[in-house]
Amino acid sequence: MRDSRDIGARVGGAAHRARLRSQNLAFGTIRAFSYLTIVILALILGFILVRGFRYSNATRSTVLPYAEAAPDGLCLVVNREANLDSIEFPMLYGMFTDEYINWSKITADDFDLLPVAVDDHGSVAGATAAFLFGAGQEAQWGRLVKKVGDVATALATVDSTPGAAAIVPSAALASARASGMYKRVKSASVRRLSLAVNDDVMAIVDNKSVEDLDDRAIARLASGEIANWKELGGPDLALRLLPPASGSSLAAAVASAGFRVGAPRPSSQGGAALAQADTVSSTSGAVAFLFAADAISAQIQTLTRSGTSTGWNLTFAYLVEPPRLSGRVGGISTIILNTFFMLVLTVLFAAPIGIAAAVYMVEYARQGTLIRILRLGTETLAGIPSIIFGLFGYLFFVSILHFGFGLLSGCLTLTLMILPTIVRTSEEALKSVSPALREGSLALGATKLQTIFRVVVPAAAPGILTGLILGVGRAVGETAALLFTMGSDYKLANGLFSSARALSSHIYLLFAEGISFDRAFSTATVLIIIVLAFNFGARRLIGRMESRS
Amino acid sequence: MADTGIPLGPAKFEVEGLDLWYGQTQALKKVSLKVAANSITALIGPSGCGKSTFLRVLDRMNDLIDNVRIEGLVKYEGDDIFGDVDVIELRKKIGMVFQKPNPFPMSVFDNVAYGPRVHGLHTRSAAERRALVELVERSLVNAALFDEVKDRLHKSALGLSGGQQQRLCIARVLAVEPDVLLMDEPTSALDPISTAKIETLLDELKVRYTIVIVTHNMQQAGRVSDTTGFFLHGELVEFASTKEIFFNPKDERTENYISGRFG
Repeated sequence: MRDSRDIGARVGGAAHRARLRSQNLAFGTIRAFSYLTIVILALILGFILVRGFRYSNATRSTVLPYAEAAPDGLCLVVNREANLDSIEFPMLYGMFTDEYINWSKITADDFDLLPVAVDDHGSVAGATAAFLFGAGQEAQWGRLVKKVGDVATALATVDSTPGAAAIVPSAALASARASGMYKRVKSASVRRLSLAVNDDVMAIVDNKSVEDLDDRAIARLASGEIANWKELGGPDLALRLLPPASGSSLAAAVASAGFRVGAPRPSSQGGAALAQADTVSSTSGAVAFLFAADAISAQIQTLTRSGTSTGWNLTFAYLVEPPRLSGRVGGISTIILNTFFMLVLTVLFAAPIGIAAAVYMVEYARQGTLIRILRLGTETLAGIPSIIFGLFGYLFFVSILHFGFGLLSGCLTLTLMILPTIVRTSEEALKSVSPALREGSLALGATKLQTIFRVVVPAAAPGILTGLILGVGRAVGETAALLFTMGSDYKLANGLFSSARALSSHIYLLFAEGISFDRAFSTATVLIIIVLAFNFGARRLIGRMESRS
Repeated sequence: MADTGIPLGPAKFEVEGLDLWYGQTQALKKVSLKVAANSITALIGPSGCGKSTFLRVLDRMNDLIDNVRIEGLVKYEGDDIFGDVDVIELRKKIGMVFQKPNPFPMSVFDNVAYGPRVHGLHTRSAAERRALVELVERSLVNAALFDEVKDRLHKSALGLSGGQQQRLCIARVLAVEPDVLLMDEPTSALDPISTAKIETLLDELKVRYTIVIVTHNMQQAGRVSDTTGFFLHGELVEFASTKEIFFNPKDERTENYISGRFG
């Protein structure tokens, strides 16, 4: 390009320059398009990989993610089996008021819920009731709740029952730990600080109301920077931040959350109102940190915190654990293995048939009308949507041959689907083997069969292998044909007729059944990595074969 | 056709009135000749004159081509090759080296061992394996290639030079222990040094084998052959001892061709 431009400058004709300009324009366009392709590819791959490895979800919650310390000396204890380290108060409240009967909606664990309450007719019972139902309120235990006489019994119950949960004094747990008892009990923190507001704050004015607050807005609010609810999208109302009574457990919780709420601004209404349920509900424009229990019992509205939670999506555990609860929890180990079984079986079916067909078509069949029709047929088959193969597989293998939903039906369907690809590429590979090699072998007195299997097929092996990879690549990404034929059981397949779920179907089902978007992406990442590794490995193999021969 | 100077020992091949058609095109017209044992017979002629076609008739390589029709008699050691003979056995006896080197995409050793292996040589016992190794090495020595490849017997044959590849193809044929070597312009794709090596080799091989060589190169025919046949338009114009053909051609067309007026 540079050379031609130099010559153009030297020759200097206007027509020449115009020609160069249009040439440059053409080159530029071609280059731009090729870069665009690469950028799009990188974007897709990158997005899926990033999304697959990390999740990042918007969360909305009525409690703040602070105050996990238990200033009133109580803590939640659960069995070690439960996958629970911290819980939001509304969920804890639900656990003790019959909203949940098992752990599947709480932690996706697979056991029944046994809430345990200490009913010692004394201090612990009172404190627990205040913890859950608000200070000075009547306890309203759910019917599922098992009442036990003392703290030791509660700890013993939690120790022995995987689904048990109890609220006990932290000191009792600490002393039990110190004496080496109740090793299977662990404590979980409770997020129970919320921002309670007066009803008039939440009023809708001009179709607007107070927005969800992010952490920065909450910090500004707590520091007293905000004077009017207008600043947070609410009504034109003076904002009055009520401080917790000094020395109270609430004050300790607010302080441990890192907020310093000083004395209230002097107001015309006068009086230093403190953060209590009744003062919030009686003071116009009031907002205060309150325990969620008190807010719920007094039926005061709370502000909603919005945030994003991020974390590792694709973990080692995800790869090695079997899926549970439709893939909602657990990993995908059995699905990965099922996918490998499926691929191995499909290649075992498709490779011999495909290569044999290609050998027949190239070496034996008379090149006439019949072969032309056959070739047209294979090409047409290669272009048929996989869902039609799925329907056929369902009708033929599952129903007529009574193979049922299982590996065998699925793999046979996939075999039919990828055969055309394998036959076509193998055919091309065989055709491209020099006739001189065939002649050389035949002239040595080899038979046609010996020539084909000792010289022609090995010489065509790189091409045949490429066809196999293309076919396997199509098979590993196949969903539609499998849903109708291979079933969707995510347990490890234990035989040819065992229903099995492959990675691609898993992605589809996770998404279509609304189970988990994150998990669909992490499964997709695993699938992409498998496909890439497979391609890379095969290419290395082909390269080595070509350099050796 | 002159009947002079058909030399030496008993005839390996006797060809009488051979006609060959590719579809409607007649490629060989009433060709008759005798190839003497342990001699080198050269077939010369311009491109498309039928000399390669004739050579391929001798080990029935034309069987592979559709639409070929052959009439006439071709006898190998007295037996009609189109009669009741096993073509595999025939090709075992009659080895062929092609114009372009066509080593198989495998190691040097496996290339040479290919023939013995397809003919059922077993390598189950150590003795059998040793026998195969000896056979391969002997063939490579006889093809004057062993010294050049002894360090890379188990590397790909495709890494050899063109001349080495062609000698490997000769070694590959020798390993089957044939009786006749048919060579179809074996040096046309090679450089002069490789050509010289192969010509020297031919002289050595002649002691044990009957060689029929098709060549485009008249000097080569003059240098290596005992008997020469001149083909033109599918006809065998003249077939006589090489001296006769080159110094005293009977036919005007032969003389014109030898003296370089056409072809």
